Amino acid sequence: MKFLFRKIFIFSFFYLVSCSTKNSDNSSYEVNELKFNLINEDLSKFNDRSRSINDRKDDLKKAYGVISTLPNSKLKIEKLHETSIGYYSLKDYESYKQLSRKALELSKVLFDSIEMAKSYGFLGIYYRNNELDSAYTNFNEADKIYLSLDKSKSYNSSEYAYNHGKVLIDLAKLSRKVKDYTKSEDLTIRAIKKFELADNKEESYIPLSYSNLGTVAKLLGRYDDAVYYHLKSIEYAKNTKKETLYAVLGNNNIGTVYKSQEKYKEAKEYYNKALQYKDFLVKRPKRHALLLDNLAYANFLSGDKRKSVEELFYKALRKRDSINDQVGIVTNSLHLAEYYKSIENDSLANLFAEKAKNTALQVKTNEELLRSYQLLSEISDSKTGLNYAKSYIKLNDSIVKEERKFRNKFARIKFETDEIAQQNLQISRENEILVIAILGLTALFLLGYIIFRQQQSNKELVFAQTQQEANQEIYRLLLNQQIKLEEGRQLEQKRMSEELHDGVLGRLFGVRLSLDGINQRANDGFTEARNKYIDELKSIEKEIRLISHDLGTEALPSDVAYIDAVESLISDLCDVNDINFEFNNDENIDWEHIDDQKKVNLFRILQESLQNIFKHANAKSIKINFDYIEDKINLTILDDGIGFKSEKVKKGIGLKNITSRVSQMSGVVQFLSNKDSGTIVSVSVPT
Amino acid sequence: MKKKLKVLMIDDHPMIIEGYKNTLLGENQKEYQIKIDIASNCDDAYDRILKSSQSTPYDMLFVDIKLPPSSDGTITSGEDLAKHAKELLPKAKIIILTMHREDHRIHNILKNINPTGFLIKSDLTSSELLLAFNNIVKGKAYYSATVNDHFRKMMTNKFSLDEKNLKILYHLSRGVKTKNLPNYVSLSLSAIEKRKNQIKEMFSIAKADDQKLLEEARKRGFI
Repeated sequence: MKFLFRKIFIFSFFYLVSCSTKNSDNSSYEVNELKFNLINEDLSKFNDRSRSINDRKDDLKKAYGVISTLPNSKLKIEKLHETSIGYYSLKDYESYKQLSRKALELSKVLFDSIEMAKSYGFLGIYYRNNELDSAYTNFNEADKIYLSLDKSKSYNSSEYAYNHGKVLIDLAKLSRKVKDYTKSEDLTIRAIKKFELADNKEESYIPLSYSNLGTVAKLLGRYDDAVYYHLKSIEYAKNTKKETLYAVLGNNNIGTVYKSQEKYKEAKEYYNKALQYKDFLVKRPKRHALLLDNLAYANFLSGDKRKSVEELFYKALRKRDSINDQVGIVTNSLHLAEYYKSIENDSLANLFAEKAKNTALQVKTNEELLRSYQLLSEISDSKTGLNYAKSYIKLNDSIVKEERKFRNKFARIKFETDEIAQQNLQISRENEILVIAILGLTALFLLGYIIFRQQQSNKELVFAQTQQEANQEIYRLLLNQQIKLEEGRQLEQKRMSEELHDGVLGRLFGVRLSLDGINQRANDGFTEARNKYIDELKSIEKEIRLISHDLGTEALPSDVAYIDAVESLISDLCDVNDINFEFNNDENIDWEHIDDQKKVNLFRILQESLQNIFKHANAKSIKINFDYIEDKINLTILDDGIGFKSEKVKKGIGLKNITSRVSQMSGVVQFLSNKDSGTIVSVSVPT
Repeated sequence: MKKKLKVLMIDDHPMIIEGYKNTLLGENQKEYQIKIDIASNCDDAYDRILKSSQSTPYDMLFVDIKLPPSSDGTITSGEDLAKHAKELLPKAKIIILTMHREDHRIHNILKNINPTGFLIKSDLTSSELLLAFNNIVKGKAYYSATVNDHFRKMMTNKFSLDEKNLKILYHLSRGVKTKNLPNYVSLSLSAIEKRKNQIKEMFSIAKADDQKLLEEARKRGFI
């Protein structure tokens, strides 16, 4: 119940706090909202395709203007991306690149990996048609970030799987371009896996991926696989917006696969299948022309050299001419040249081959240029033919070289990033080793230090023990001496007492009695006077008896011995130093039953204190008391010297010794002193 | 005809014997013919007592308490000697003369020997000695004033303390601490404590400290 109450309290507290912070930030918050509204408005205006391209560019410009005033945030990056995609759709590639770069920089500042990878992907797209190595670098960078995200698992992988797939398929295409087919295939398969993970099923790239797989398989000579992949591509595209596109594309591609296998009948069948999508093809003359050309070429290759084939070629060529599809024109011209060559119409063949060569040179399609050189060398006369053959060899070499160069470059880019990773790994490993070494050394040092301290304290302990034993021994000797002294004294006292009592007293009594007796008989008038002296003798006897009695009273050895030892210590030291002293011992202290250790300690404390007084205090008199209060022995040492400042002398070894001795007896010690008012050392020890 | 008296004086100090002689041989020679034998130690004394018991027994014995003991160690004081004498010479009058005036000692001697005469040396004058002698010769007992005092104190108390209790009080009054008493009285510490409490109860000052006990004991004449 209490807990719940507290929870409610905390919750309401946070609510209040959050409300107050909201209020304080209200103004900037509202401004930002306003800005977002503006941006969204501009972008939706831009999406209105009915407006002119220039107007739409202006929309983007306005949107960008507002975006650049936004504070740095993930949302800002997203808006930048949106705008750059807009520029891409308007084919303003430079602006597209610029915004993508901005987005990249911002995402680097914000450490936003997902947006960073996305920006790299965008830049890759910018380069993919013209600068293969730059494109590869950017795509590779994006791929690396996505892979590290996969590893860290800090995000849901479906969030970025779609974009990752796109990057992978781009990489696959680049690899295919430089004829690294196995690599391309590998990347495509990875791309497909990503697309399958992705949430975005609407605009799927899976058909495209399978199509690429098919193309690569064909180029690798795995024709069955190629057909299979293209069929899959068609199947995946079913029930999507691009169903027809992939049906046409797929069938065309399958036809091409069969053509490469010299299975012309099947090839023709698939080309015709593709040609059935007439509505679609009417809107796309380029594809239509391609299919027609392909069909004609398949017919030609299957040995059909009829007029209808020639017409089909021309139909395709006309279409291509009409839309100025130069790449298509090159292929088409080459096909016609081959056709005329086969029916031995060399002049026409030469004409088309020349046309193909010239157009190919214009559009820089090397494959076709190569083919045209080959044809020209075959149909021209021996001299020009030789020249064409030379050109062919030269071009072929340069193509091979170019491709190899790119492949190497890609490999290098990949390798460099790998190497950096390797280096990072190496560095981190080195750091690790360093840290471990430092930790190890520290631990070793600590261990050594601890052992050293242990030994030291052991030594101290042993030393303290031996000191204690020595103290006890000293005390025992001291006490023994005192006891012996006392015994001797007592023996002597007893002897004296007996001597007085039995000897002197007896004889005195005898003398008195004799005198008395004689005095009784004498009658010379002096009896009285003598009686007076006899009485005097009697009183002397009494006195002697009292003295004897006092002497005979036995002093009690052990407990008196300690106090005697203490008193003789004090009186000896005070005599030497010429100081008066007063010593009181409380009779109630049962010294005999107090253990020797305590007695020695008190003795030493007294000795130490007296030394201090003699050395520093400049005192005239000392007062020392042993009091017995509530089962505690209180030793007070008081002097009338110059005193000291308590804090200042606290570290002195003498006082330290006293303090340690007192704490050994679990007692309390106090040093009270003021300048010019003497010092009081008071020790209280439980019995 | 002078009456014949045979006397044995036992004292280790010749000077004291001299004193006795000087006192008795003055006036009394007219009435009595006194024959004095002297012994200065227990052996000597015992021999004489023994011999006289077989021939002419002594009429009177002057016995000091503190004496050099006999060589065989069986007789250590005048007290022991007096006991023997009472057996050997039942008719002899025994006069104890001693320096000791402590109550428990007096008490003991009275109890053990019950002498005809009991004189404390320190009180004694020659006239008192004569008086005592004359009394005792006639068969009357004579005690010194100190002894009589002791008697009186004993009588006034409704109770009497035994020797051990008196000893305890005596030593306490000398300043011996209770815990050291077992060295002086042949009792254990706990027994001594018990006795002390009994004494306090008798004095009806239970729970009083030692100081009070001693005061009371002094007042009552036990010390």
